[in-house]
Amino acid sequence: MKFAIALFSAAHAPSSRRALLFAQAALAGGHEIVRLFFYQDGVYNASSSVVTPQDELDLPKQWRAFVSEHQLDGVVCIAAALRRGVLNEEEAGRYQRDAVAVGAPWELSGLGQLHDAVQDADRLICFGGA
Amino acid sequence: MAKSLLIISRQAPWSGPNAREALDIVLAGGAFDLPIGLLFLDDGVFQLAAKQDAKALQQKDLSANLQALPMFGVEELFVCADSAAERGLDPSAFSLEEALALTAHDITALIDRYDQVITL
Amino acid sequence: MSTLHVLSHSPFGDDRLTSCLRVIGANDALLLTGDAAYALQPGTAPFSALNTRGLNLFVLAEDIQARSIETPDWAKAIDYPAFVDLSIHYDKVNSWL
Repeated sequence: MKFAIALFSAAHAPSSRRALLFAQAALAGGHEIVRLFFYQDGVYNASSSVVTPQDELDLPKQWRAFVSEHQLDGVVCIAAALRRGVLNEEEAGRYQRDAVAVGAPWELSGLGQLHDAVQDADRLICFGGA
Repeated sequence: MAKSLLIISRQAPWSGPNAREALDIVLAGGAFDLPIGLLFLDDGVFQLAAKQDAKALQQKDLSANLQALPMFGVEELFVCADSAAERGLDPSAFSLEEALALTAHDITALIDRYDQVITL
Repeated sequence: MSTLHVLSHSPFGDDRLTSCLRVIGANDALLLTGDAAYALQPGTAPFSALNTRGLNLFVLAEDIQARSIETPDWAKAIDYPAFVDLSIHYDKVNSWL
């Protein structure tokens, strides 16, 4: 089965951890993830600026490792990211902002990528809220 | 054949970016000519209340975006009649005339009709 | 067509469970995750509502375990692989974000 997984909550939300565990279970079960799409506060999961205390789960780091290891398509909604200050080098340059908060393996793109994933996948599963 | 997507918008117009970001998903889908439906449920019905003044909160008025929906090819517009009634709203006075008022039973069938759904 | 509804908010002081129960269909299922697991706290209105409703009811095992709530015999505690299977068994997933 082909899954599109969309995440709407920030890294510290329990639903974000659930999204990662679901994604891992999907791959372990022999399924495919066509795209991970981060929207609304989900964009914070792609932030390289998040500093997690040593004794806590570092979800942005885990997401990065997961996407890199499995060479997944990890897309962060650009409009949602800009609004939340999660800028890549290009956008930071464009808007003359000091901080670059997102880089590889994440790609900033539009909602078209979410729709594209929904069309391609057999199942769309969203995580977020709490 | 394209997969259909139902967006269920449950948040009031200015409870953070939720209402606008739900609408953005709908408009993007419409722009790509995809079969998109939009249901206003729970506090989402407040988005349709007439005579709102977003400027008083220095917020964007969403009604212009809502009115644009048919122009983007999004004509499957629905509102939960129970949610409206509970909130003292009369669907006939809604800013989006095209939104069809549905009962809970209709909504069960509506969700069934679509291939995918996002409830935010 | 059948839908797997997923809740993750506490049913106390939140209307997602109530709204979900209004629109959930006879062929659908409900998965409680996160704080939605509190709906299985005995002696509460959500507990009674779910018990009498007779749904295909699931709860994420880690969440019921963390909260020391017992899974009633009319619900099934599942792990992530089973969560993946459920999402395939039902035609679509509706997460109440």
